[in-house]
Amino acid sequence: MTVLGYLANGLVFSSIIVLGSIGLSLVYSIADFANFAHGDTMTIGAYAALVTFGAVGGLGGAVLGLPFGFFFALVVGIAAAAVVAVGTEKLIYEPLDIDSIGLLITSIGIAFIYRALIQIRFGSDFTRFDIQPLRPIESLVPYGVRITLHDVAIVGSAVVLVVGLHVLLQYTDLGRKMRAMADNPDLARVSGIRTKRVKLWTWVIGAGLAGAGGVFLGLFNQLAPRMGFNLLLVIFAAVILGGIGSVYGAMAGGFLIGMINQLTPFFSTVVEALPIWPGWLAAALESLISIEYANAIAFVIMVAVLLVRPNGIAGEAAT
Amino acid sequence: MSRDTTDVADRRTLLKLTGGAGILALSGCLSTTDDGGDGSDGSDGGDGDDGSDGSDGGDGDDGGDGSDGDDGDSAGPYEIGMVDSLTGSLSAFGERNQRGAEMALGRVNEVGIGGRELSITVEDSESENQGGIAAAQKLVNQDGVPFLIGAVGSGVSLAIYESVVEGTDVVQLSQNSTGLNLTEFPGLLRMSPSGRSQSLALSNIITDDGYDEVAVTYVNNDYGQSLTDAFVNAYDGEVVYNSPHDQEQQSYSGVISEMNGSGADAWLFITYQAEFATMVNEVFSSGYEAQFYGADSVSGDNVLENTPEGSMDGMKIVVPSAPIEEENYQEFASAFESEYDRQPTSWAAYAYDCVINAALAVQAADEFTGAALQNTVRRVSGPEGETVTSFEAASEILADGGGPDDVDYQGVSGPIDFNEDGDPVGFLQVLEVQGHEYEGIDFVEG
Repeated sequence: MTVLGYLANGLVFSSIIVLGSIGLSLVYSIADFANFAHGDTMTIGAYAALVTFGAVGGLGGAVLGLPFGFFFALVVGIAAAAVVAVGTEKLIYEPLDIDSIGLLITSIGIAFIYRALIQIRFGSDFTRFDIQPLRPIESLVPYGVRITLHDVAIVGSAVVLVVGLHVLLQYTDLGRKMRAMADNPDLARVSGIRTKRVKLWTWVIGAGLAGAGGVFLGLFNQLAPRMGFNLLLVIFAAVILGGIGSVYGAMAGGFLIGMINQLTPFFSTVVEALPIWPGWLAAALESLISIEYANAIAFVIMVAVLLVRPNGIAGEAAT
Repeated sequence: MSRDTTDVADRRTLLKLTGGAGILALSGCLSTTDDGGDGSDGSDGGDGDDGSDGSDGGDGDDGGDGSDGDDGDSAGPYEIGMVDSLTGSLSAFGERNQRGAEMALGRVNEVGIGGRELSITVEDSESENQGGIAAAQKLVNQDGVPFLIGAVGSGVSLAIYESVVEGTDVVQLSQNSTGLNLTEFPGLLRMSPSGRSQSLALSNIITDDGYDEVAVTYVNNDYGQSLTDAFVNAYDGEVVYNSPHDQEQQSYSGVISEMNGSGADAWLFITYQAEFATMVNEVFSSGYEAQFYGADSVSGDNVLENTPEGSMDGMKIVVPSAPIEEENYQEFASAFESEYDRQPTSWAAYAYDCVINAALAVQAADEFTGAALQNTVRRVSGPEGETVTSFEAASEILADGGGPDDVDYQGVSGPIDFNEDGDPVGFLQVLEVQGHEYEGIDFVEG
């Protein structure tokens, strides 16, 4: 496989991580706590889409190898994730009235509850969307790029969602309020912004993006009750790398972590090819830079970046 | 400026918490993965549990029994013990075992052992080491059974052996454990073939199919590692790629692109169903072509359901199996079906043979003690003597004054014939994926 091929794989995987990490960062910047139930919110989105897709079917035509029904299911998945997150906020986080550490611990419990409910309803076994998997796009194979139309759909939809969020944050009233609140909640409140309402919208957007990420993760790989949770550590790494609380940082962090994760096989061939001296160093690097340590390598790079830029890639730029 | 410093402090707290909570959450996973690991079709699970070896908690004090001398009574039944997974993550196996054992017990008691009956006291291991040890202690130390059938999970069998049975005369015969490391304990017998025989069979099949290069990927735990090591040792050709992968990753495209890059045309997967299904899908959507091989833990209906039609055709998988073409197995299967209204699994056949083997050992022994049973348990089903396929026939020979070496009981799960490590000559079935279904194409002796 060529570098291009690995880059293409990385792009697809990054798209999913970016969707997850934006939501996490957004909620952190405005609701002010690290939401450990975020991964399981992704799972909820995925399963809601699974049920919807099973119920509505293909709905006739298809685009990019995906039936229309899937896109409808995607929207339902996004909505379901948002509704569940807002419900949790209203029923649990808001009445609790504790500090951010208390909320963080609570969210771990919430994550277990989400996962248990899904497991009760769907069992612990894995499943897939009832969509015929595709072969790689023929015209790209000569370049060593082996991606399917589904992968293109994942990247395309992620780009649409990310651009949409950018427009929302920069050019709409809600976006300005959100940014103001992220910068200084007290000041935002005295200047007349209804912070509670903005907070709710934050949950809707953050969880909705997570739901979309979950649906794409299910399409990319498979659905299992632990799918979102298993990705959570990587998403946290992406968010911290990007700069906690910064949406654009989360995008960059997610992109970088996903890329590094998928590029590891390429790194290992590079290390083997390089004339590294002395020999023991070459041997050590060769055994360490291998795909079984893909996540570990991503974390090492995260630590290295943080040493240079302690506030993450996006630094102080809030939201 | 001040804002900056609080930011940094926030980040530190968060990092700490993330780490702490991550560990907490991971510890949560450890306890939940077991449930997910065992498939519904029974072809894995026994292996999946291997990971949880090692920690056998408190081992109770044995002393203070010793006086159980009711042996002399010729009227009462012979009491043996069985530790089974009646509850817990391997309870599906426990159920299968109970059906097999119950049927065997019925057949033994129809004939009787020298005028006496056999009775089995069953205790629950809860599919955990701790529960297994407690159950075995109760059976061995309180009930004083000289013969213990148990357990299902390899880790549990080993824990029982190390903390209760080892150093006593008690005979332990595991019904379902396939872990490779049980071979290192010759005193611990088992009815199900070791995973090693799968590795050997796979290496033979791959060689016979004419591949002199193979790429291997295995799940990064005891099970995957030990099966792969055994395979690499046995395989004559060149293993050009050999790399572990972690469970529950979201993508294995790195693994499969490296396997493709290795140039081998034969790919061997020693992993679990979910991971394997992901890999098959990625192989399919990357457009790679190769001949697949797999250990029994990659087969399952959930794999067939979640992989594209035709993506695995020609794949060969080796699974432990009863010799289903043998007459005695077919007789067992039809009796089982009329009794329980379902097809028997090989796991039920193993439990069935455990009970028959135990009963024969009891009948052949001079007295009902662990030492005497140790002397007969291997010999009644060993290769010497007249070949018989039922308890009744074997029992007749023994009743006519035959010794343990005059009988060679052929089990419904295979010829048994324990070797010096306490492992049976297991039967393995070779499955081939044809038209996206598993078809049995061959049987091999382990």
